[in-house]
This record gives sequence, structure tokens and C-alpha cells, in this order.
Amino acid sequence: MENIPISKHTISFGLSVALCAVLNALLVIAKERSKGLEDSMQRITGHHWITHVAIILILFAICGWGIGRTNNGQGAKMPIDRLTGILCSGVVAGVLIVLGFYVIAD
Amino acid sequence: MKEVVLLGHVLLGAACLVTTIWVFVDVLNAHEGNRVRIRWMSRAATLFMWLAFVVGGYWYVVDYKADKDVILKGPWPLAHNYFMETKEHFVITLLLLATYLPIAASNNLVVNKEARRLVLCVAALVAVLALLAEGHGAIIAMGVKVALLAKPH
Repeated sequence: MENIPISKHTISFGLSVALCAVLNALLVIAKERSKGLEDSMQRITGHHWITHVAIILILFAICGWGIGRTNNGQGAKMPIDRLTGILCSGVVAGVLIVLGFYVIAD
Repeated sequence: MKEVVLLGHVLLGAACLVTTIWVFVDVLNAHEGNRVRIRWMSRAATLFMWLAFVVGGYWYVVDYKADKDVILKGPWPLAHNYFMETKEHFVITLLLLATYLPIAASNNLVVNKEARRLVLCVAALVAVLALLAEGHGAIIAMGVKVALLAKPH
């Protein structure tokens, strides 16, 4: 197996993408199932979608930087293929949840 | 003006798709000669995606309400109820992936096979989601069209 280092942000932001893709889908479900939550999100920025985007982008930045600062500032360590698997799984799961949810939502 | 904004959104999305496919093909053949180009093209894909997102987001928030009302009274309400509802949410994941592409491409892809595989996967996901978004956009536009055509004259 090759042992060529990659930047710590490749791992931290890769994990952040996977996590935020799933959180994005869960926020969609929560928003659609709770009118109160959607109204609150609407009030914050004037449009629920803008608030939704802002929440996910802020989470993406926080998780990416946060995971990058773990392990005494060296960031999380893992094989790159494992990161690829986690990232693909998170993104595919997140997108399928969104696409599937609206099939059964109405 | 509304049409220009919408056309800009579509064109920028298509530009993101083309540059991402460029990155994918270049990474398949990664060598010292295209290493810098891969980095710049991945940054270009991110830039196009952000511009497409901001322009599309502006149109969605400011102009879409009128189209939505037309769609919902027409024969294809699914164009809003399913296709717009899903598109407005999965493009957030697409934005994250496109933002991540240059981070993944910043590694030495010439010598690192696993890093190359990571970038190929990210670029493929961006391309598939961008195509999905383009398709959804086309159906939404068609929803408006069939609703207008169905209106009694």
C-alpha cells in the first residue's frame, strides 16, 4: 500500500462533506415535518432556504476546521480509500434521502 | 432581466459540469505536465458552481414565486412539488462537493494513486449531481411551459 501523505484538510473537509450531506437531508425532513421550524428559519433570514444553506455552510466550515484541529493539530488520520468510501456513502445517502423523501412526502 | 438571470444560472451550471469533466479526464491521465492545470480547473469548477448557486439562489428567492404559481395551476404540479423541492436541497450537497474538489486536487495526484481515486470520485459525484440539477431545471421550465400552453385563450 502506498504511504504518501495528503493534506490534513483533505481528510477533515472530506469528512465534513459526508457529514453535512446527511445533515442537509435530515434538516430537509425536519423542516418539512415541522411548520414551526420552517417558520423560524424563515424569520431568521427572510427565506427558509437561505437559512438552510447558511446552516449547512457554517456546519461544513466548522466541521472541516474542527476535525482538522484534532489529534494535536495534525487532524484526523485515516487511509484515503476509507475517506473516499465515507465521502461517497455520505453524499449518496444524503441525496437519496432528499430524492426519496419527496416521493413519500405529499 | 429575469430571463438573463435564469440563463446565467444554467450556463454557469453547465460551465461547472464541463470543467469538472475536464478535471476528471485530466486526473485519469495525471502527470507532471497537467498537475497545475488540474488545480486551476478544479478551482474554476468551484467558482462556476458558486456563481451558478448564487445566481440561481437569487432567482429562486426573488423571481420563482410567479413561476411556482403558474406550475401549480398547470398539468405538471410535480415540476414544483417534486423537482424544485428536491433540486433546491440537493444542490447544497453539490455546492459542498464542488467546494471540496480543489482541496482534494491540491495533493500530489501524480504519485498518489489513492488521492487520484478520491478526486475522481468527487469529480464524478459533482458531474452526476450537476447533470441531475440540469435535468431537474429543464423539467421545472417545462412545468411552466405546459401550464401556460394549457391556459384557455
